[in-house]
Amino acid sequence: MSRKALLILFLVAVIALVPALSNVKAQSRTVVTWFVGIGTGSQPAQIEVQNRAVEKFNASQNEIELKINIAASFETAYDVLATLIASGDAPDIVGPVGFLGANSFADAWLDLQPLVEKYNYDLTQFPESLVNLYRTEEGLVGIPFAVFPSLIFYNKDLFDEAELPYPPANFNEPYVLNGEEREWNWETLADLAVELTVDANGLTPNDPGFDPNQIRQFGFIQQWALLRAELTTFGGHPVYDAELGKVVLPDYWREQLRWTHDGLWKRYFIPNATYEGSELLQPSAFASGNVAMARVPLWYTCCIGDLKSNWDLAVVPSYKGQYHVPTDADTFRITKASKNPDAAFKVLMYLLGEAAPELLLTYGGYPARPDLQEAATKLRQESFPSVTNWDIVPASLEYAASPHHESFFPNFPKGIQRFADFRSQLYGDTGKTMDLEAEINKLEADLQAIVAEALR
Amino acid sequence: MTSVPTPLRAERAIARPRREVSIYEQQKRWGWIFLSPWLIGFFIFTFVPIVASLIFSFTDFYLTRPNEIKFVGLNNWIKLFNDPLAINALRVTFGFAILSLPVAIALPVLLASLLNSKYLIGKPFFRLLFYLPYMVPAISGIFIWQAFLNGQTGWLNRLLRLMGVVEPPNWLGHEFWIAPAMVLMGVWGVGNAMLITLATLQGVPQELYDAAKVDGADAVTAFFKVTLPMISPVIFYNLILSVIGLLQFFVVPYVLTRGTGNPNGAAYFFNMHLYRTAFLFQDMGYGATMAWFIFLIAIGLTVILFTTSRRWVYYAGGE
Repeated sequence: MSRKALLILFLVAVIALVPALSNVKAQSRTVVTWFVGIGTGSQPAQIEVQNRAVEKFNASQNEIELKINIAASFETAYDVLATLIASGDAPDIVGPVGFLGANSFADAWLDLQPLVEKYNYDLTQFPESLVNLYRTEEGLVGIPFAVFPSLIFYNKDLFDEAELPYPPANFNEPYVLNGEEREWNWETLADLAVELTVDANGLTPNDPGFDPNQIRQFGFIQQWALLRAELTTFGGHPVYDAELGKVVLPDYWREQLRWTHDGLWKRYFIPNATYEGSELLQPSAFASGNVAMARVPLWYTCCIGDLKSNWDLAVVPSYKGQYHVPTDADTFRITKASKNPDAAFKVLMYLLGEAAPELLLTYGGYPARPDLQEAATKLRQESFPSVTNWDIVPASLEYAASPHHESFFPNFPKGIQRFADFRSQLYGDTGKTMDLEAEINKLEADLQAIVAEALR
Repeated sequence: MTSVPTPLRAERAIARPRREVSIYEQQKRWGWIFLSPWLIGFFIFTFVPIVASLIFSFTDFYLTRPNEIKFVGLNNWIKLFNDPLAINALRVTFGFAILSLPVAIALPVLLASLLNSKYLIGKPFFRLLFYLPYMVPAISGIFIWQAFLNGQTGWLNRLLRLMGVVEPPNWLGHEFWIAPAMVLMGVWGVGNAMLITLATLQGVPQELYDAAKVDGADAVTAFFKVTLPMISPVIFYNLILSVIGLLQFFVVPYVLTRGTGNPNGAAYFFNMHLYRTAFLFQDMGYGATMAWFIFLIAIGLTVILFTTSRRWVYYAGGE
């Protein structure tokens, strides 16, 4: 063999060995994978912050290499995670994830209690009620991280234009509508929303000649809401009552549906699906500046940048004298399939600890840790100078609706889909002519069949 | 010292001659070598999953519980024929096919004939114009159409209002109008079929038209007696692709209805039911059954079309 050939062979061998050697170096650290997507976390600004958190963690120690896997979109994230689990390549950490996302993979989560004890992780720093949210039959499946109480976001400019007082900034505070002091309940909100709904001729639904096909401004929306969250604004209730052994849709949920149906199709203060998909309400209904009030969880601060108007926060109205605040709660969970639960727990402690302030800000989450709450409020004040009522956030947590609107019931994904189909029917053109009572009964019967299928 | 071959050695040499490889054999071998990446990819990523899905269809495989898989015999197949959602989804799929197939077949022929006309000025411009939408990515196209067809602020309804239609249809919100709306959206996808048809049209010999003219045929008769038979192989090709495409129809209704298939299930296509079952409910066993069911329907329809093609497709060189 000539020298030249030997030299080429040597070079080829070196080129082949370099990646292999660098791989050996990388593999000397325990790899922990973090999957993001079945909750918030897929927005470009959030991706940047998450990547920074990963870089910071990897630079801080030599024991663990944290790798992040962010799903392309929320819509595809469920498939991606399901496929990863099925193929035996489950991520170690998943999150931020709410109850809805987590319940879709109901038996996938590791009981953290042994690791909490092993590493003396202090759970007493959280309010007990929040920790208990994560205690299930399978153990402690999560540690509180971010909470997102529902609030009424309102457009100050539209209120000023209509010369109407702003909605209450405190619980148990009345509202003065047309000179009459009224309890701040859902009926009052409906009457107020009608006054803020305007058609192309400047008429409200109370005026003769109002044209529901030419509405230019709406009074209220339950934005990006799941039907169960909407129902829970009138009170929490489990979908499946284990004691009775059946599905029950309580009267107050039926009343909530009647209230929504009226708002959509009789009093026109809620935009229907066609309006919601129209140019009028883009990029999102409240951020378009054409909706006066929106009931939406706190995480909506992530996506309100497009709103050019001044806005502020009000409390969610009461139902029969009681406040029920649907509250989303996100955290990071460790999967049962994790090959390195100890290393994953160390990463979890980092995400819930050192990385938390920045991550919470980008997720729009309110810290579950009370020691971080003041700083979080301050940061929000700087980001949103028009908002003055931040005190509502911790106050709303006192009224968190229970049971949770995303709580588990048998055959959860199928049941959730049935609720979504009902909402689509109610908000779509079909809602206009639907026999509401018959459809509610059908929903109940279908849910019963769905639950029974899983229990068989 | 050189050894002299013994008779035995010479005999062996005669008994085991070095095999001469013909050029044909060499080309065949290299052909397989060049094909092998695709074949290996096909085997691993297509053939194995196909076989796996057939096996899954006889199990209760759930994506999130891969270790609890059980053999359930024909249960999934029995369930399929008793599933009202599956039956409705099949009805929606075939209903839409009846509405959209004539458009998918006739429109490319019509457009190609127009573009082939000697009286049309600016042919390259129109060819580009009709082909261009085909290049728009599907999701972007759907969003554009969604805005265009919105019942309140969509351009189409604004136009209809200007023309005096007081209550134009809510294209995407009404169960009657959503299918025509999707057919309308499908018009954007005819560019490719139109181009293939146009290429075939341009290949029809002029002598045939001249002969028809001598025989007294007018333009319409020439179109039906000369053009259509001559381009029938391409029509057949478009028909097969359209039928298979319709049985795979998913992205448009899924994005348009945000996965619900509403209004009133009018856009709940079979593949949406399949997707929901397999990936949202993670019921892979039943999902695989549905996939095989629609595959068998596609095979059946293709066989029927090929069988009938002998009667109406003209092949100049015979079959």
